[in-house]
Amino acid sequence: MTSAPAAAPAPATAGTGTSALAITGFGVLSGAGIGPEALAAALTAPAAPVDVSEMFEEELPRNDAHALVDFKVRDHLGRKGTSFFDRSTSLGMVACKEALADTGLEITDDNRARIGITLGTTAGSAKSTSDYSKDTFIQDRPYLVNPLLFPNAVMNCAAGQSGIKFRLQGPNATIAGGPMAMLNVLRYTRNLINCGYADALLAGAVEEFSPHSSWAVHYAQSVFGGDAAPGEGAAVFVVENADAVRAAGRTPDAEVLSIEVGVFEPPGPDGEFSRGLGLCISRALERAGVTAADITTVATAANGMALLDEAEERAIGAVLGEGTARLRVKESTGEAFSASGAFQLAALLARHRAEPARDGELSLITTRSAEGAAGAAVVRGWSRAGGDHG
Amino acid sequence: MSLRRVVITGLGPVSSIGIGASAYSEGLREGVNGVSPIACFDPTGFPYIMAGEVHAFRPENMVRRLSVEEWGRTSLFAASAARLAVADAGIDEDELAASRAGSSMGTTGGESQVLEKLTGDSLTAGMGGLDANLVRQVSSARLSQAVNRELRLTGDAVTLSTACSASNYALGYAYDLIRTGEADYMIAGGADSVGRWSHAGFYRLGALTETACSPFDKDRSGIITGEGGAAMFLESLESAQARGARIHAEVLGYGLNCDANHMVAPNRDSIAECMRIAHANSGVKAEEVDYICAHGTGTPANDFVEASAVVDVFGENAPPISSTKSMLGHTMGAASGLGAIASVLGIAGSFLPPTINFKTPDPDMPKIDCVPNKARTADVRIAQVNGFAFGGNNAIVMLGRPS
Repeated sequence: MTSAPAAAPAPATAGTGTSALAITGFGVLSGAGIGPEALAAALTAPAAPVDVSEMFEEELPRNDAHALVDFKVRDHLGRKGTSFFDRSTSLGMVACKEALADTGLEITDDNRARIGITLGTTAGSAKSTSDYSKDTFIQDRPYLVNPLLFPNAVMNCAAGQSGIKFRLQGPNATIAGGPMAMLNVLRYTRNLINCGYADALLAGAVEEFSPHSSWAVHYAQSVFGGDAAPGEGAAVFVVENADAVRAAGRTPDAEVLSIEVGVFEPPGPDGEFSRGLGLCISRALERAGVTAADITTVATAANGMALLDEAEERAIGAVLGEGTARLRVKESTGEAFSASGAFQLAALLARHRAEPARDGELSLITTRSAEGAAGAAVVRGWSRAGGDHG
Repeated sequence: MSLRRVVITGLGPVSSIGIGASAYSEGLREGVNGVSPIACFDPTGFPYIMAGEVHAFRPENMVRRLSVEEWGRTSLFAASAARLAVADAGIDEDELAASRAGSSMGTTGGESQVLEKLTGDSLTAGMGGLDANLVRQVSSARLSQAVNRELRLTGDAVTLSTACSASNYALGYAYDLIRTGEADYMIAGGADSVGRWSHAGFYRLGALTETACSPFDKDRSGIITGEGGAAMFLESLESAQARGARIHAEVLGYGLNCDANHMVAPNRDSIAECMRIAHANSGVKAEEVDYICAHGTGTPANDFVEASAVVDVFGENAPPISSTKSMLGHTMGAASGLGAIASVLGIAGSFLPPTINFKTPDPDMPKIDCVPNKARTADVRIAQVNGFAFGGNNAIVMLGRPS
């Protein structure tokens, strides 16, 4: 081995940490299908969840889900090097591939050290980790697990493997946030860009369908109610500094103007949580430099869990008042935990692309968790009707 | 805009060699071995049965707001470490709760110990016979949320799950949030728990050693899995001065990069580059570094690659580089956090933590000073904390004596 050229890297130069982010392309895979068009169509006419009873050997709490039943990674990335990928890694990597195909950003040897990946998750591939534990219980010898599968059992597998696949040497991060993951990822990504650690990130979130995720939805519903089908998929966005994109004469698909998060008392009868989420929404509007009346659509995390849905609606109503349209993406894609947050953003962008009449509209994204975490983001989007894009 | 300087004013280690800053510092100075026979699961049938468990961890005596029944062991490590860090920082709890404050915690396995229990339960009860309260605890997002809930912090709660360098990612992010004015106080660190799945995985990867972790030794043969929690309390220099806080160390900056080459094999050039990035971002020259807290896992590959990269960057007169993993085992997502705390204690207390279990220099490895077996008195003005991980997720943090 030889050492790298000793030329000193330029120091990362921090800006304000609050500049807008540009999205210059995205890839999305959900139960609605692959690509923005499939998602936009599903938003207009949500399809019923599909039969998943043949996907796994394990018992399921229900036989349907918004799952990509026929998804095979080799159809998208070939057989070479993909045979040991788990579903989570496969979905994330294909979403990265789709995002790169959708953007005007070109990766070359000159910039690959400045381009990274930030992916959200809940607990990685719970199936991969659980199967590993299971083998230690049921094998004749507890250590007879498959070493080739070990990286799958660790949460940063999708981001790490995607870094290898697309040879992206910039910061490579995984954030476990569940329903908060996408907003956490956007905040983390904004910091990387505005503080000068990277010029562009593939930022998104991934969640696989598995017996484990299906049961997780089931048990959550046993506590909080609701009957949304489980979902899965990934959405990955090419995120760059908005000023830099415009200075280069490129036009973004969207700008993320603000992202605000916090942790409060969990949703309950006292309304404390709604005040907390309301605070996040107010701060997000303020930092985006917009008013409640400017918001056309709220993409919510609604999933039929009454306690959480009502807490979220109370907060939105308190800040925006009545009458702002809602976009409830989980009606089309199911409950996909961390990926659901990415689908909220993808749904807004997919609709922008499909409906040029919405060019320049401002939307609000809200999310919440049973643990008391809450967040909001303000996004402005455009179609590509003008022909020019990221 | 003007950026704020960021200092560490509170330390909260929960480790196998000591809980709390003074006990941990004592353990480091004495070179205590925190490795012992596995107790948290039945290791029958495993060829190797040692781990760095924190047997003395009693979360019910450490957290005040969280109900220990509702949170997994790793979240409780995180929240307990945060409690210690806040107590060490001497800041009023109500004042902290009313401030712009949050947490940034790293992990490798998150609540995989909970998932492992559920997996075991499902073998007898079926997946339909599980405890809903336990299923809810699986999300790794809960590590940082546990910290916020325990301390009533209403800002960010971020769980960075970038495997074994995750604490460095978390510390770096917390530093940025404070220096850019996004937050005023942050808890940063990491947590992980010992479990069957990782013990088996590292064994089958050929990366586990039988009884003692001996980094940089000629006969080193792998890691010992470990666990624990690490938390540091971060604030701006002005804030610390205004409240008369004791300043342990300053965070000078950090570097991140990705090998983008192999999931588990470390890459010499990429690691060397990450050191250069960390130095550049921190305004530090290589010759100013007094101590390197190694990633130092004790595997043949890591230690060779790490020592080689150090020599690539620092030349023949590299600063002393020791591995706390020799004492703690590999605490995974907590590892670079416990390494950072060890470095802060070294800066504040003018000593170098040792690499214990060292017997024979490795003639095939570039010559380095691994502070063999005995802690050493030394003036540490600038320390470098290395963190590497699966996925080529490299993260290096630079710490300095407050000036």
